Amino acid sequence: MRNNPVEKGNNLNLNCPKLKFGHAPVLSGMIGWTIMSPTASGYAIDLQNVTKIYRRRVHALQGVSMQVNRGEIFGLLGPNGAGKSTLVKIMVTVVRPTSAHGTILGHAIGHKAILSRVGYLPENHRFPRYLSGRQVIEFFSALAKADRSMRKKRAAELLDLVGMTAWADIKISQYSKGMLQRVGLAQALGANPDLIILDEPTDGVDPGGRRDIRQVLLQLRQQGATVFINSHLLSELETVCDRVAILVGGRVARQGSVHELTMPKQCYLFELDSGAWPMVAATFPGAFGLGSPPATGRPARGWLDDKSWCEFDGLALRVGRTDPESVQEIVDALRRNNLVIRRMQLIRPSLEDLFFEAMADPTAQPAALSGATPPPLPGAS
Amino acid sequence: MSQTLALIWDAYRDLNSKKMFWIVLILSALVAASFAAIGLSPTGFKIFYWEIPSPLLNSKEMPPGDFYKSIFLNYGIGFWLTWLATVLALISTASLFPDFLAGGAVDLYLSKPISRLRLFLTKYLCGLLFVMLQIGCFCAASFAVIGLRGGAWEPGIFLAVPIVLLFFSYLFCFCVLIGVWTRSTVAAVLLTFLFWVFTFGVHTTEVTLLTFKLTEESAAVRLDKQIQLTQERLARWQRTAATRPTTRNSDYVTMYQSELKSDRAKRQDMHGVLDRPHAIFYDIKTVLPKTTETVALLERMLISSARLEHVSRDNQDDSGNSSTELNGKPVPMREVQAEMRSRSAGWIVGTSLGFEGVVLALAAWIFCRRDY
Repeated sequence: MRNNPVEKGNNLNLNCPKLKFGHAPVLSGMIGWTIMSPTASGYAIDLQNVTKIYRRRVHALQGVSMQVNRGEIFGLLGPNGAGKSTLVKIMVTVVRPTSAHGTILGHAIGHKAILSRVGYLPENHRFPRYLSGRQVIEFFSALAKADRSMRKKRAAELLDLVGMTAWADIKISQYSKGMLQRVGLAQALGANPDLIILDEPTDGVDPGGRRDIRQVLLQLRQQGATVFINSHLLSELETVCDRVAILVGGRVARQGSVHELTMPKQCYLFELDSGAWPMVAATFPGAFGLGSPPATGRPARGWLDDKSWCEFDGLALRVGRTDPESVQEIVDALRRNNLVIRRMQLIRPSLEDLFFEAMADPTAQPAALSGATPPPLPGAS
Repeated sequence: MSQTLALIWDAYRDLNSKKMFWIVLILSALVAASFAAIGLSPTGFKIFYWEIPSPLLNSKEMPPGDFYKSIFLNYGIGFWLTWLATVLALISTASLFPDFLAGGAVDLYLSKPISRLRLFLTKYLCGLLFVMLQIGCFCAASFAVIGLRGGAWEPGIFLAVPIVLLFFSYLFCFCVLIGVWTRSTVAAVLLTFLFWVFTFGVHTTEVTLLTFKLTEESAAVRLDKQIQLTQERLARWQRTAATRPTTRNSDYVTMYQSELKSDRAKRQDMHGVLDRPHAIFYDIKTVLPKTTETVALLERMLISSARLEHVSRDNQDDSGNSSTELNGKPVPMREVQAEMRSRSAGWIVGTSLGFEGVVLALAAWIFCRRDY
């Protein structure tokens, strides 16, 4: 949990130098995030057993429990129809849960007043087309009860932040999708919220724009803000998120930091010559025994003496160890049997690997996998 | 409060961006300007500078102020504001809620610290703003025309603003209900027009049945008088026959009297037949908004009772019957008018607002309960 004991509003410095989208340091002192009062504690989002059943038939969410710490960037992943948007909409009172317990910024879910401290960018948002970018930010800031005297100043600064100053007074009907996303992000920040919920924030944004948005998110975190992102772009989430949750079929299949989730799946890879199977089997008889050689897509699997897993697919040997010292004996054993090691690498599974694994087996828990079960081949999916 | 002001200001910007708003406003200005193009002279009426002689329509027969008020009521209100402008206004505002409820749009509003009910009601009132601005501009222009051309500065004209707004709100609440329910602008417009036709049909049917009923009643009263006359005549003859012989044919009068009684009995039966359907339609009408009668309130308020009676006497004989006939019988227009005017403004507006309240409550309930 991030402890940034800056009171909201005390850190507003609107006379800061001109900011450009993507210039990391400039957010400091400008946005004035005050996420934590000195006495505040607990989760920014604490969801317990959130259930949503549509029309008594469709079980969109089936007891989702999720915790988001204050001051972190949290990513929500999941395939289409997993219930991600429903969950986000429940948090911002757009959808009424069938049952839900928990809090948002310390208040019960559904508490309207707390939404003045929550910024929200919906997926496929539709801003009034007769408004300009500046008017959009000012209008939705007013609805979020932002102080009238600050709205105009903040709108100008936020437009500058997202690189839309030149388009500030042009009707948004003339904006491209990427420009709409930028203005949408600025709109979500308009009322100086403590919690920012972004649903597909980089949808339609070009790579440069995505990088800029990432920079803004990182700066928000640096200032102590809590950012909750729902996105399909796994690589982006992996870059910025402290923690993630993977939602599959209306249930949380995985939850934790990227490191926590990927650690059990890390392994060392040894790339060997083709035709090495008999020697590999002979080197690790306890693991592979006299089993049949691996077929395509069906590697031979087993366990070493220290209970770490290993597998061989005909070309590469993978060993479920992450400590460089612990793999030296593997190197020695391979070399003793005259096996040529062409390449050796520590393999760290990506968020995408975790995602597909969670989709394949939503009920399996990462802890149960740790060291016990060989993961799918990294990159195989 | 800042949220409400922001929503109202946004509604104004929304209206401002709609071409239809400006088209209706320009058309309203043209209608008001066309009033100014017509004038009265002692010998006839004028259109621009062309004078057309008329023995009935001249400043001697009708004061210019009354003339312009009559035009304002019959064409400005009765035709333009409550028909054409209302149709255009419904088309313009029908999309208000379906657009608002579109995915990605409503989320932005609902995720703000404002209650759904307040959001709904504010949005509804913003829709009425459209019509209020239109009527306000039209009334201001008409006020100026009647004052400058007719010499009658009649502030009562501005009563049209709340009354026509009330009339529009009956239709708009239904349009909002359909819009919230179906989220379709086309469905909202079409079903609202159908509803309007339905209420108009119920009103017309009720008034027609009332007219028939009163015509039968009037005929029955007339027959009663005739029966009484024949009865008196027969009695007189019987008295005189006792003292001196007479050649008068009392059998013919007796037969005539029995015919009258038979006709009277038919009228009574017909009245009984009409009474029930009229009562049914009256009950239906009671729970529906009374669009025509609400607009007619303006006529009641704007032109004095005396003037109305004067106008109605023009078309009636001494017994109060008009020159119009229904099944060969004179229609008692005075009784029909009296019956219509006996329905209080409180009943007309109160029951209509009751309907509006129920419809709005239903729409608000759907809006507040739905997931988006």
